[in-house]
Amino acid sequence: MSSVEDEAGNSRYVIEGRVFPPENQVLSNWQVETRIHVNGGEYIGFIKEDGSFAVHNVPTGSHVVEVVHPDYMYEPVRVEINSKGKYRARRVNYIQTSQVIQVPYPLRMKALSKFRYFQIREQWRLTDFLFNPMVIMMILPLLLIMVLPKMMNDPETKEDLKQITNLAKMSEMPEMSEVITNLFSGGATAKASNSKAKQIKKRQ
Amino acid sequence: MCIYEDQIGKFDWRQTYVGRIKFSQFDTVSTAKKLIVATEENVLAALHLKTGQIVWRHVFESASSGNIQLLHVSDKVVTVTGSNPYLVRGWDSSTGVLIWEWSLTLQDNDHAEFSEWWVQHGLLVHMLPIFNSHIEVTMYNLMSGQNRGATSKLPAPWVNEGCVLTPPYYTCVSGNMGEQRLLTVDVTSNAVQIINKPLFDYISLDVFDGNMRPLDANSALPGFIIDEKKVLLIKNNDFEQLNIDIVGASVSATIIEGPSEQILLQAWDDKTMGFSLIAHSVSTGKEVPEIKCSDRDHRIPDPELAAVMCTKTAREQHACRILINGADDAIHFVQQAGRVLWTREESLANVVAVEFVDLPVSETDAAIESEFDQKEGSIWAAFTRRLQSQFQQLQTLLHGLQHADRAVASSNTNDLVRDYFNLHKVIVLVTEVGKIIGMDNLSGEVLWRRYEPSLSTASLAVFTRRTARHPPLDAYLTIVGTHEETGNGLIISLNPISGELVGERSLQLDGRLLQCAMLHRADEEKLHGLVVLYEDETIQVFPVSSAPLVEDMYMYVAEPETAYVRGYALRYDGKEARAQAIWSLRLGGAGPGSPGHRIVHAAARARLERTHSPGRALADRSVLYKYNNPNLVLFLTEGPDPVHKEVVRAVAVDVASGAVAAAGSHRRARAAPHHQAVHADHCLAYLYRSEKHRRFEIASMELYEGKERWLPAGAAFSSFASERAPAVERQAYIVPAAVTAAAVTVTERSLTDRHVLLALSTGAVVEVPWAFLDPRRPLAPTAEQREEGLLPYAPELPLPADAVLNYNRTLHRVRALHTHPAGIESTSLVLATGLDLFYTRVAPSKTFDLLKDDFDYHLISIVLVALVVASYGTKHFASRKMLKMAWK
Repeated sequence: MSSVEDEAGNSRYVIEGRVFPPENQVLSNWQVETRIHVNGGEYIGFIKEDGSFAVHNVPTGSHVVEVVHPDYMYEPVRVEINSKGKYRARRVNYIQTSQVIQVPYPLRMKALSKFRYFQIREQWRLTDFLFNPMVIMMILPLLLIMVLPKMMNDPETKEDLKQITNLAKMSEMPEMSEVITNLFSGGATAKASNSKAKQIKKRQ
Repeated sequence: MCIYEDQIGKFDWRQTYVGRIKFSQFDTVSTAKKLIVATEENVLAALHLKTGQIVWRHVFESASSGNIQLLHVSDKVVTVTGSNPYLVRGWDSSTGVLIWEWSLTLQDNDHAEFSEWWVQHGLLVHMLPIFNSHIEVTMYNLMSGQNRGATSKLPAPWVNEGCVLTPPYYTCVSGNMGEQRLLTVDVTSNAVQIINKPLFDYISLDVFDGNMRPLDANSALPGFIIDEKKVLLIKNNDFEQLNIDIVGASVSATIIEGPSEQILLQAWDDKTMGFSLIAHSVSTGKEVPEIKCSDRDHRIPDPELAAVMCTKTAREQHACRILINGADDAIHFVQQAGRVLWTREESLANVVAVEFVDLPVSETDAAIESEFDQKEGSIWAAFTRRLQSQFQQLQTLLHGLQHADRAVASSNTNDLVRDYFNLHKVIVLVTEVGKIIGMDNLSGEVLWRRYEPSLSTASLAVFTRRTARHPPLDAYLTIVGTHEETGNGLIISLNPISGELVGERSLQLDGRLLQCAMLHRADEEKLHGLVVLYEDETIQVFPVSSAPLVEDMYMYVAEPETAYVRGYALRYDGKEARAQAIWSLRLGGAGPGSPGHRIVHAAARARLERTHSPGRALADRSVLYKYNNPNLVLFLTEGPDPVHKEVVRAVAVDVASGAVAAAGSHRRARAAPHHQAVHADHCLAYLYRSEKHRRFEIASMELYEGKERWLPAGAAFSSFASERAPAVERQAYIVPAAVTAAAVTVTERSLTDRHVLLALSTGAVVEVPWAFLDPRRPLAPTAEQREEGLLPYAPELPLPADAVLNYNRTLHRVRALHTHPAGIESTSLVLATGLDLFYTRVAPSKTFDLLKDDFDYHLISIVLVALVVASYGTKHFASRKMLKMAWK
C-alpha cells in the first residue's frame, strides 16, 4: 500500500504502524481502549483487530505519535515527514530536541509496563504487628510483670536486680523505683536498706 | 497524593457522556441489542438498550476533521468523518473494533461542505449538489473505497439551497413565485427520471414560504413535510400525499416499519398537555391506539424523534422503543405508552461554568446556632433553651441510631445538609445549551435541572451572592449571561439548593454588558449586591438598595481580540453609583507595530482564596515576604511577531491601579487554547507550546516583596499605596505531554501545600506539587537551600502514574478543572469538566487533620481493653503476692 493518499494533491500522508498488546495478558477488547494520538489528539487513529493502525491525512512536518491506553504505558515516537514524503521515526526527547535515535518505520509500538496508579497497602506481617508501638506498650509491661518475678527467684539475678534498682534510686529516677518499690514492698524494704549500707561501704 | 486500590470510587466518580445526538440507529443485528449514536461532539458510541450506559465509545478529533457526516448501521457500523478529506470507517457493532478505513479527498473543495452521504446496496453514495447547475453523484465500494463508476453528473438547474434529501431522492421546489414546481429525482438510478409536478396540487400556493423538511429518524419511506402541514411520500415515481394531518408546526414526524403496517409517528411538546406522542397507520390513516401518550409532568423542549423501533410481542401488538432528543440536549428512551426507560443528560458534555455551593446546616444545628443568637432573657430562660436544644440533639441521635441500618443517604432534598467537614456541597453547572443543573457532589446525582433557552452562554459569570450560612435566609446564586436573541444582559437568580428562581428571577437587562461583579459588602439580608457595567459605561446595582454599598470598587474590562484592557473605579455619589474609567492598557504593545495580539486567558485568584501565610521561611531564619496583591490578574496574550513568527506574552496587571507587576515573553511560542494559566497567592504559572522545540512548557513566576515587609504586619494591601514593583522569580519547565487544562488546588486557609493540576490529552489529570514548579529551584543546591527544601533544578517535569487523580478512568477532552476548598484545611475538591465529568478530592499535604480512612479502630480498642484488663489483673496478682510475702 502506498504511503501517500490516493488523492494526494495537497500532500497528506498516512502514519502507519502496529501496536502490540502487553504480552501474556489476555485483554478483552484492548483494541477499543487503545487510541493513537498524533500531536496530543490533533489527529486520532484507531486500531484494527490485529493491532495495526493508520492515521490518515497528516501533513508534512514533525509529529509525536502516542499510543494511549488506560492501563499500559507505551513510549511515544516522533515521526517526521519531509516535503518529499520521506518518513523518519525517532525517539522523543523533549530535552535534547536535536538528538536522533532512529526507530523502525512503520512503527512497532510495544507496551513498556503497566501504569502503577495505586499505592500498595502494607501487608499484615507479624513483625510489623509486634513492633507496633501500641503492641509494644502492651507486651512490655506484661513481660516486666510476668518474667521479672520469675527471675527474682534466681538469687544471683535477684542481687543484680536489686543493685540496678538501687542504682536507679541513686540516679534519681523516681518513676521506675517507685513502681518497683510499690510492687515489691513488704519484706523488700529491709533488704533494700541493707544493700544500701553495703553500697555505701563499697564506695568507701 | 495517590490512593490505594481499594479506594477506587470512594471519593471520586466519573460520568461519561457522548454529547448532543446527531445520528442514531438501532443495532438489531448483533445479539446484544444496542443503540448506536453519533454526536455533535464527534463521538461514536453504543448505548445499552436497558440502562442507557455506554457499551463502547470512540472519540474523534474535536476539530472539523472529526465531524461525523454519516452513520449507517447494518451488520456493521459505517461512519464518514471529517470535512474534505473524509475518512470512511467500518466498525464491529458488538465490540466497537475498527474493521476497515479508507480516506477520500474531494477535488472540489469549494462545494464539499454541501456533500450528502448515504449507503445504498452496499455502496457508499456521495452526492454533491452544485446549486443552479447540476448534481454530482459518485458511488464507492463501502469496504475498499474502489470507485465503482466515474462520477455521474445530472443536469439539474433547479437545485437550490432549500432542497431536501430523502435518500435516494433529492427534492426541490423551484420556479417563480406563483408557479412553483415540485421536482424530485432518484439520484442513484441509471435512467434519470425527474418527477415534476406543480406545487399547487398539494398545497395552496399563497401561503407557501419554501418550508420543506425531511421526515426524522431514518424514515422507512422517503418523504418530507411541506409547509408544516402535509406529508408527501415519494412512491412509484410519483408524490403521494398522506391523508393524515400534521399536528403542529414544531412536530417531529417519521414513518416506521411496524410489525404489520407502516406507521406515521408524531411527537411534540404541547403547552398544556406536555410531551405528546401520536401514531397513525400510513395505509388506512387510522390512529394506532397503543402508541399514544401525553404526559403533563414530562416536558421535553422541542422533542425530535431520533430513532424508533417497533416490534410485535406476545402481549402487545406494538412494542415500541423510541429515542427522543430534546432541544436541551437530554435524550429520553421511551416506550410506546410514554414510560421513560432512561434519560441521559447529554448537555453535561458541554459545561461552561461551575460553582460549588455550601449546603445549609441541619435544622437541629440551626436551632443550636439560634440559641446563641438570642441574647435577651434571664439566665433561666437561657438555661431552659440549652436544655431544650440538648434534648433535641439527644432525640435526633436516638432517631439516627434507630434508622442507622437504612440511613444510606437517599439523596432527597431533606438530606442536603452540611456535614461536619463541609465536604458535601451542591455543584451548580451551567451548560452550553442553557441548562442549569444542580448536582450532589458526593454522588454525582442530578438534584434539579432548569432549561433556559434564552440564555446564551458564550460569556458567562456565576456568583454565589449569599451562602447558606445565614438561616433562615436561603442561599442565592446569580448567573449573568447574554440573551440569545437580543444580545443584552440576562440575569438568572436561583436558590442553588432547590433550583427555584428567587429574587430577580430571570431578568433581561436593557443593554449589552461589559462586565459584572459582586459587591464586597453584604446588605442587611446578607445578600451581596450585583454590579453590572453596560456598554455605555453606566452601571446598575441589584438590588437597587445596595447602591450605597458601592465603595472602593474597581472593575476591569478586557477585549480579547484587541488585547485592550480598561479599568474603572466605581463610586456612589449619594444618588447613584457611577463608573469612571481610570486606566487603560494595550497588552499587545502600543501603536500599530504589533497588531493581532489577543488575550487568550486571564487568570485571577480564586474568589475564595484567603492567604494566611505572609512569607516563606528561609534557611537562615529570615523571611522572604510574599507580594500578596489580591487585585493581580495574569493576562496571557498571543500574537504574531515580525522576527520570531509568534510570541506569547504573560503580563501580571494590578487591575485596580493598572500597574504592571510582572511580565514575561516567549518567542516562537503559541498559547494553548483553553484555561491554561493558574494564579494563586503570589504564584503564577502558565502553559504555552514552544514551536522552536516542539514541546509544551510551563512557566512559573513568584512575586516577592523582599526580606522586609512593605506594610506593617496585618495591614491590608492597597494597590494605590504601593509604588514599588515586586521582585520576580521566574523559571520554565518542560511538560512531556499535551496539556488541555490547568488549575491549582484551593484550601480553606491556604496553609496546605499547593498543587497544580494538569489535564492531559491522554485523558489523565495529573497532580504536580508546586515545589516542582518553584522558580527558585537551584541548579546545584547549597546546604542552605537544601535545608529550605528546594529541589534541584531539572528541565522536565515528572508526571508519574501515581500522581494521576483519575487512575485508569480516562477523561476525554478535559476543558476545565475546577477546585474548591472543603471545610477542613487539608482537602480541596476537584471537578474536571469536558466530555466526561470527574469529581474527586485531593489532599496536597496528606490528610493531616483527618484520621486515615484505613485507621484501625478495632486494634486501638483491643489494645485499650487489653491494657485495662492487664492493669486490673496485675493489681490483683500484686495484692496476692503481697499477701504471700506478708505470710513468709
